[in-house]
Amino acid sequence: MGRLNGRPIVYMSSAMLETFNFRVIFEYLPLFWSCFLATLWLSAAGLLGSLLVGTLACGLRISRFKLLAWIAGVYIESIRSTPLLVQLFFFYFGLPSLGFRMSESATGILALTLNSGAYMAEIVRAGIQSISHGQVEAAVSSGLNYLQRMRHIILPQAIGVTLPPLLGQAIVLVKDSALLSLISLSELTRAGQIMTSERFMPAEGFLTSALFYLIIYYILKGLTHWSQKRLIYMQT
Amino acid sequence: MIEFRDVHKWFGELHVLKGINLKVDPAEVLVVCGPSGSGKSTLIRCINRLEPIQKGALIVDTMKVHESKTNMTRLRAEIGFVFQQFNLYPHMTALQNVTLAPMKVRKTAKKEAEDQGRYVLEKVGLGDKLHQYPAQLSGGQQQRVAIARGLCMRPKIMLFDEPTSALDPEMINEVLEVMRNLAREGMTMIVVTHEMGFAREVAHRVAFMDFGELMEIAPPREFFAHPKSERTKLFLSKILTH
Ligand SMILES: Nc1ncnc2c1ncn2[C@@H]1O[C@H](COP(=O)(O)OP(=O)(O)OP(=O)(O)O)[C@@H](O)[C@H]1O
Ligand SMILES: [Mg+2]
Repeated sequence: MGRLNGRPIVYMSSAMLETFNFRVIFEYLPLFWSCFLATLWLSAAGLLGSLLVGTLACGLRISRFKLLAWIAGVYIESIRSTPLLVQLFFFYFGLPSLGFRMSESATGILALTLNSGAYMAEIVRAGIQSISHGQVEAAVSSGLNYLQRMRHIILPQAIGVTLPPLLGQAIVLVKDSALLSLISLSELTRAGQIMTSERFMPAEGFLTSALFYLIIYYILKGLTHWSQKRLIYMQT
Repeated sequence: MIEFRDVHKWFGELHVLKGINLKVDPAEVLVVCGPSGSGKSTLIRCINRLEPIQKGALIVDTMKVHESKTNMTRLRAEIGFVFQQFNLYPHMTALQNVTLAPMKVRKTAKKEAEDQGRYVLEKVGLGDKLHQYPAQLSGGQQQRVAIARGLCMRPKIMLFDEPTSALDPEMINEVLEVMRNLAREGMTMIVVTHEMGFAREVAHRVAFMDFGELMEIAPPREFFAHPKSERTKLFLSKILTH
């Protein structure tokens, strides 16, 4: 069985290798490299923005001010219940028609920031709520003030608990950034498209894109593992 | 050292402390017992204003707890509080748990705080657990770290809210032993507990609380031999037969 099946597979893959054009990939590597960097910086900007927006939205959502909490709630809910593509098209086509004009990259970063921010808000909230109220009372009892409690008790733990899901969200964000190719930003997916349309080589083009995404994925996954190892004290 | 004068406390509509009058002397050990929901925790949580009171006067070592302008940080630094659930900081080692407040609130230098932390942890029998995280310690050990955390602030008063209720029976004694030693050294203590053996042996007075009132308060010999009110008798008969 193995021998019977083995032969055609070997045959097929060598046939693939013959038709798979590595030379063209090398030719396009500079393009992929610059697009890889573009994906990196668009994602990094989106990540940073979404952290800020997410933390702010979370802070408002759990605040005492009813109106602000409600606004944050509407923001989080409406983002989470609609497709990113629709949000992106709204910012790209909709906002200019209402008179707001931005560059493509600003539009892309804005979409990633606001989209991911809604998910970040929930992640941060879960992190803060994971800290038992008893610890905070213990800290109050020993005379630590609000800032000291934040600095030494709440934030170190909230960040620790939040880091793994946050990196998970970062991975999602990087993959979502592929949609920015639709508003003609030169990022990784766009590089695959360019190679496909210029040389009619979709397999080579998109596989190369995928490989670059894989690199980012493994870096983020490595960070996730590292951060989870540092959380071992939390496990009872 | 601690004085309640007609102290009232409400949670919304719920009247939880109904005119508490109580005086605790320096170096006195007071044990408070009573049924669940009678207000024991609330009583001692008012002392460091974990709960604010709505009426009456509460004075701790010349500080007026009922006045909002009283410096809470100073007050709380003088009072150690031990919780039923230990409430250690899980991301810090035993030594870090006990040195945080001395360094941040008392502004003790790190070296000095650590020397003291080591000394106190050794005193509660945890000299070999300095660098363990709470999750690596047994319940009894965690509670002893919690007591050490209170002691490292060199408090004048130690409050205990059912310190052994969350512990497995075989660990209760190691915690009570630490508290016995503290009492012997002359610490002012209020202990909410149902460990009547501890009350008999260590307490100077025992109080019975019911429906937000201190029904009865007397030295242990008298308290156990001749409880005055029917409710105290009933309560004692219930917990002593356990
Ligand atoms: N934060 C709070 N908000 C509202 N009600 C509260 C709060 N804390 C306590 N209570 C109520 O106040 C009453 C007294 O509670 P307290 O915790 O002081 O009782 P306790 O004697 O310590 O009981 P237990 O033995 O169960 O610990 C209870 O009826 C309780 O439900
Ligand atoms: Mg209680």
